[in-house]
Amino acid sequence: MRRVAVIGVGVTKFGLHDRTSAELFAEAAREALTDAGIRASAVQALYYGNVVGGETEHQLHTGPQAASVLGIPSVPTTRFETACASSHAAFRHAVMEIAAGVSDVILVGGAERVLNVSTAESTEYFAYASDAVWEQPLGLTFPGVFALIARAHMEKHGTTEAQMAAVAVKNHRHGALNPKAQFQKPITIEQVLKSAYVADPLKLFDCCPFSDGGAAVVLASEEVARKHRKPVWVLGSAAASDWMLLGDKRDLSRVPATERAAAAAYRQAGIGPSDVDVVELHDCFTIAEIVATEGLGLFEPGAGGRAAEKGLTGLGGEIPVNPSGGLKAKGHPIGATGAAQVAEIVTQLRGEAGPRQVEDARKGLTHTLGGNTATVLVSLFGRD
Amino acid sequence: MTEPTITARVFFEKARSGQLTAIRCGACGELAMPPKELCPSCHAHQWQPVTLVGDGTIASFTVIRVAPRAHAADVPYAVAVVRLKEGVSILGRIVDVPLDKLAVGLPVRFRPLIAKDLTASVGFGPA
Ligand SMILES: [Zn+2]
Repeated sequence: MRRVAVIGVGVTKFGLHDRTSAELFAEAAREALTDAGIRASAVQALYYGNVVGGETEHQLHTGPQAASVLGIPSVPTTRFETACASSHAAFRHAVMEIAAGVSDVILVGGAERVLNVSTAESTEYFAYASDAVWEQPLGLTFPGVFALIARAHMEKHGTTEAQMAAVAVKNHRHGALNPKAQFQKPITIEQVLKSAYVADPLKLFDCCPFSDGGAAVVLASEEVARKHRKPVWVLGSAAASDWMLLGDKRDLSRVPATERAAAAAYRQAGIGPSDVDVVELHDCFTIAEIVATEGLGLFEPGAGGRAAEKGLTGLGGEIPVNPSGGLKAKGHPIGATGAAQVAEIVTQLRGEAGPRQVEDARKGLTHTLGGNTATVLVSLFGRD
Repeated sequence: MTEPTITARVFFEKARSGQLTAIRCGACGELAMPPKELCPSCHAHQWQPVTLVGDGTIASFTVIRVAPRAHAADVPYAVAVVRLKEGVSILGRIVDVPLDKLAVGLPVRFRPLIAKDLTASVGFGPA
């Protein structure tokens, strides 16, 4: 298998936009190609993540749509849909295609537009990532899924609402250092704890926002990447799935797909959790970050809440998590999120993250979770 | 001999009449609910329907206050993962339990929820 590197990254500002998801992707892709210093004609394939285009934009066939709007209509394009992990799934398949020697340069990205519809509508569309026969008819929502996980974690490990709030406060503090973040304003523990319940025990400030945005990264084979100023190498990329139905998951305080994907990615890279310097992980809800830090092996099962409260995951802490602000503050345009996380880790490993730079970051990890925890992808990165 | 698979339609027909139906694997004894084509434990396709007694306890719960459009009129409402006495778990609405009395471990009993169009969904009420 050939080595694969990320040689270019681009991200739009996340938040409210008056452009289509394809236009948002195209902006990010142009930025990524410029960053890579290659011409669009060098791109041999587009792997693309988009989730609710059919619902919010009445747009299916979003792969070629995005390629056409970008201006590279003739490359093979494929749209990936693994709920919120879509562009990370796209990324993993592009890595495999280059590693296998089929292509040398692949553009990976994703975009989402949801702020053009009401919160009630987007709440419904996001719930489509849960089972349509057994769960949606009960009125289960996306926050509801993580509320059930939070309650189970609190019951088993004594995790508190204040510990969850510490995650939100930390990620908003980081987001304030990121000019592309949707929220760039610090918040307090009191503000989180006093915000209204969305799905008990999760409150409004435990939840990431609905966001519009796009992200793109350029992947290249070693031969191409060697000509680039600062290639960031893909050390491993793994996916895992789990039961769709919450009733079929044996222990709601854990996300087995995170544990399996992480184990596979660490094995591919030949490193362990203690070798990782910076992490971008899927904090769609504050409890999701706590459970992910445990599943990735950064902390013992049950210790994630206390670690967040002690500040171990903040910039300057033991293991900085979500220096970009995470989904919580940076925003969560679901089709773009996986690619945006890769963009942040690449920026960190290049040492170009400015005020949110993790000092001397050599190895990074991205973790993206799909919807009801039935999909997880984990990738590992290293610099020369 | 292969037993007919319990489809979702059959499950909800039985649910409407108050029966909670699981399936047991004839090869390894694994109990499953809702129905699956292959046994997740041994991958055999030898299911036998089993009627559960309907008693269980709350494994985790939430109170939904921001709902999808179709459920907006119901808020706040409780949704829980209920662990049945026989060992399988399923998601359901919790009804007739005051929201401040919800707790992990609370005993509940199966109660089908019948909509205006007569479709049933999984619910649980006080034991
Ligand atoms: Zn079996």
